[in-house]
Amino acid sequence: MTDETKVDQTLDVRGEICPNPDVRTMTTLEKMEKGQILEVLVDYPLSVERIPKNAENRKHKVVKIEKVSGPEHRILIEAKANK
Amino acid sequence: MNPLIFWGLLVGLVFGFALSRGRFCMNSAFRDIIVLKDYTLLKAVGVAILVSMIGFTIMDKTGVIALNPKPFFWGANMVGGFIFGIGMVLAGGCASGISYRAGEGMVGAMSAVLGLTLAGLMTSMGSFKPAADFLQGTTKMTLPDGANLTLANVFGISHHWLAFGIAAVAIILWIIFAIRGRKAEKEEKASLCARIFKHGWGWKSTGIVIGIVGMVAFYSSAAAGRNYPLGITAGWVTILKSLVMGENFLNWIAMMIIGLVLGALAAALIAGEFRLRAPSPGVLIQTFCGGLLMGFGAVCAAGCNITHILSGVPQLALSSMLAGAFIILGCWAAAWWMFVRPMRKL
Repeated sequence: MTDETKVDQTLDVRGEICPNPDVRTMTTLEKMEKGQILEVLVDYPLSVERIPKNAENRKHKVVKIEKVSGPEHRILIEAKANK
Repeated sequence: MNPLIFWGLLVGLVFGFALSRGRFCMNSAFRDIIVLKDYTLLKAVGVAILVSMIGFTIMDKTGVIALNPKPFFWGANMVGGFIFGIGMVLAGGCASGISYRAGEGMVGAMSAVLGLTLAGLMTSMGSFKPAADFLQGTTKMTLPDGANLTLANVFGISHHWLAFGIAAVAIILWIIFAIRGRKAEKEEKASLCARIFKHGWGWKSTGIVIGIVGMVAFYSSAAAGRNYPLGITAGWVTILKSLVMGENFLNWIAMMIIGLVLGALAAALIAGEFRLRAPSPGVLIQTFCGGLLMGFGAVCAAGCNITHILSGVPQLALSSMLAGAFIILGCWAAAWWMFVRPMRKL
């Protein structure tokens, strides 16, 4: 996949049950350096809707949400960008 | 076979569709009060209860249905509810949550349904039955005339006025909070068709639709000889019992479950969200064990989260309020242990 954004870390939570995709995304973001980009691969519909919202609430910046195929989405988040 | 049970299939189709589009799950609703501090689904649950409470009361007053609160046995309601609450965190979904996600192709949810059904059958007619019978039998309480306890009849007040009063207070509080905390929720700019079939629903639409499904369920289920609104566990248990014993026990609630799974499947296919997908084997075992706890808890407490919180609380049943409270406590205990505690260590 060609993408102009440099990804620092990838979190693959495809197939995971509620709320692991959300919790693991948030804990991973907390451990990352400011400005680093996290790529989340997720196919659980509730988390696809909720991860961007909760990441923004926790002062991270959602760079991109992209539908890969079927329920699978790729979300790019910049850690602590708004701090 | 009573042909009226096919109404259950129809109710289930709409219920499953709404659950899937609204991502409606009480495990997420209660758990995320302490884990993610996200209250969206909690608001959907609140609206659904409110709509059903007003609907059931009007239907009872006009003689369309007769309210049928579950019997109150405090020990079984508390123990069963608490175990169910722990189970749903391990299973990654409440009884309705794992059922609709099984229809969407999530294998983790299917394994939880398997556990729920197996333990449910073992508790309703197998080796776990004595434990549930003991808890129910030793702690059962009724009014002197044998009526099941509700918040209205224990205080000797009119059910209709109390239900309308609670609904009115809830609506007034809601309006006050809505005016104070107005944050302009983003309006989606999409066609009505796309909003219904392609996108996730907002909490208000989800709550209203599920509340109305509950009303239609009560009417059609009573017509088919089962005087109660929605439930989940009994439906799965009846399907397994029919399969194991080779005899057709299918009733309204079993047909409703078949419809629910098909409705969620249809919703996921239309939205392009269907795919068979599985977590690691360890998580599959975890969801199965969670399902087992849920199955025992639901039959012991005489109801899962749908039977008690969505169908019983609107009838002001004391059993449902107690079981519901302990489902929430169990959920919080497990969610604190599994998610909040590890996050604090960071």
